[in-house]
Amino acid sequence: MDSRFVAAFLTEYLIIVDLIGLSGIFFFFRLSNDQRVQMYFWLPFMILIFTVFCENMVAYTLYDHEFNKTINAYLGNTEFPRYNLWLHNITNLLVLTSLYFFLIRYWIEPSKKKYMNWMIIGFLISNQILQFSGIEPIFWFQPIIFSIGANMILVGSGLYFVGFMTNDLYLNSNPLRLISFWQMTFILFTYSLTYINFVAMPFLVTHNYELGRSMFQINLIMSVFNLAILLLTIASPKLPKLFEKEPSYGFS
Amino acid sequence: MDLVESQVYIIIFSTLFLGGIMSTFVISMVFIHRQRQAQNLQKMDQVKSEHEKTLLNIENEIQQETLTHIGRELHDNIGQLLSLAKLNFGSIKPEKIAEGRDILGQAIQEVRGLSKQLNLDWVESISINEFIEQQLERIQNTGFCETSLDANFELIDLPKDRKLVLIRVIQESLNNALKHASPENILIRMRENGEIRQILIQDDGKGFDSSQKSNGSGMFNLKKRMETIGGEFNLTSSVGKGTEITLTLPN
Repeated sequence: MDSRFVAAFLTEYLIIVDLIGLSGIFFFFRLSNDQRVQMYFWLPFMILIFTVFCENMVAYTLYDHEFNKTINAYLGNTEFPRYNLWLHNITNLLVLTSLYFFLIRYWIEPSKKKYMNWMIIGFLISNQILQFSGIEPIFWFQPIIFSIGANMILVGSGLYFVGFMTNDLYLNSNPLRLISFWQMTFILFTYSLTYINFVAMPFLVTHNYELGRSMFQINLIMSVFNLAILLLTIASPKLPKLFEKEPSYGFS
Repeated sequence: MDLVESQVYIIIFSTLFLGGIMSTFVISMVFIHRQRQAQNLQKMDQVKSEHEKTLLNIENEIQQETLTHIGRELHDNIGQLLSLAKLNFGSIKPEKIAEGRDILGQAIQEVRGLSKQLNLDWVESISINEFIEQQLERIQNTGFCETSLDANFELIDLPKDRKLVLIRVIQESLNNALKHASPENILIRMRENGEIRQILIQDDGKGFDSSQKSNGSGMFNLKKRMETIGGEFNLTSSVGKGTEITLTLPN
């Protein structure tokens, strides 16, 4: 087998992510038709599959340098053709952050959903402005875009916890057995633990690459935890003893 | 320590700090949630015990009222019937003895009817419409005032505890009208409009200024009782224009 292929695709992280992805597909197709059309299941499934796809794409860009170079050149980056930041910016910073917004929006009280709507719109608009104005090009580090998204995610998680503490529906349940609680907790931890890392990434890459690399491991570990909780969400009908039925706000 | 090194320390410290803050945040959320949950449970227990107390009071009041009614019936109705039967049986005329037998039969029927009222099982078998009809008929029979019922739905699907509360509230509202308003007419309307079901008790009596705060606890109790079953109690009245009580039933 090509050694570059092995180095790109057969890493511990990618193997775990792929296994979680395959388990997600297995459990999703074991759901009933009614369950599959519920946002409770299909949104986590979509995030899970998209993340798995992105991670494999990242591995592919590390394997196929020519492909990465072509895309970089197309986007205007001829100076660092081996960087795959364009992929990270499109998938992680734009699409995945937006999908997490929708997941948070799904869990919060109907009266607070409007705040999430505005945050999603604000994030998408600011993202496009920063990118197309050239302040943060798509092929380079985007700490401002990341911090805007992460701050909004943290505020959204805060809104969830406000409802969690004040709403009678949530007060009657055990939080440690609620899937939404674990999803929100891991999202909160992911975005707070990787916050400094992503914001300081340009600095770390230049001055202390090894530290940057080590801190990036936090992101990988949190990503695995997030995927695991999304997998558990999809598999939750098969685990009735582990999770309680989620209190319903009349989700839509 | 050079600038780069100190910046690296700042980055590491900030990451740990943020992680620590988030951990503290989530743990505090869980603790606060647990605390609020305990408070909520306590509140629920309190509401439940208050509800049970209200029900017990209502059962006692209904039983008291029933006993008063039975006492009155024994004295005014059954006692009279038995006296009449005794008089008839004292006669030597066969037709009088036959009449005495009829009266005795009537008295037995009355006793059976009364015995059924001694426990509260009748509450389950009667609909609210039937109960209101009975109450209005009783008032009408006293000759105190004219009564009428106008209902566009039959209220039969209430659980016993809610029915008991509603019966007591209706009874008390009618008693209040008779005691304080001296009306010529009492009209009860039962209206169903979509999911809203209401009972309106109207009288054309003296009325009073309902905007003024009452010193008594009667209205407050009725309101409280309706709230314990998830319903509402509203009263509007003005001097010389009668009173209207609206009981909104729980869905």
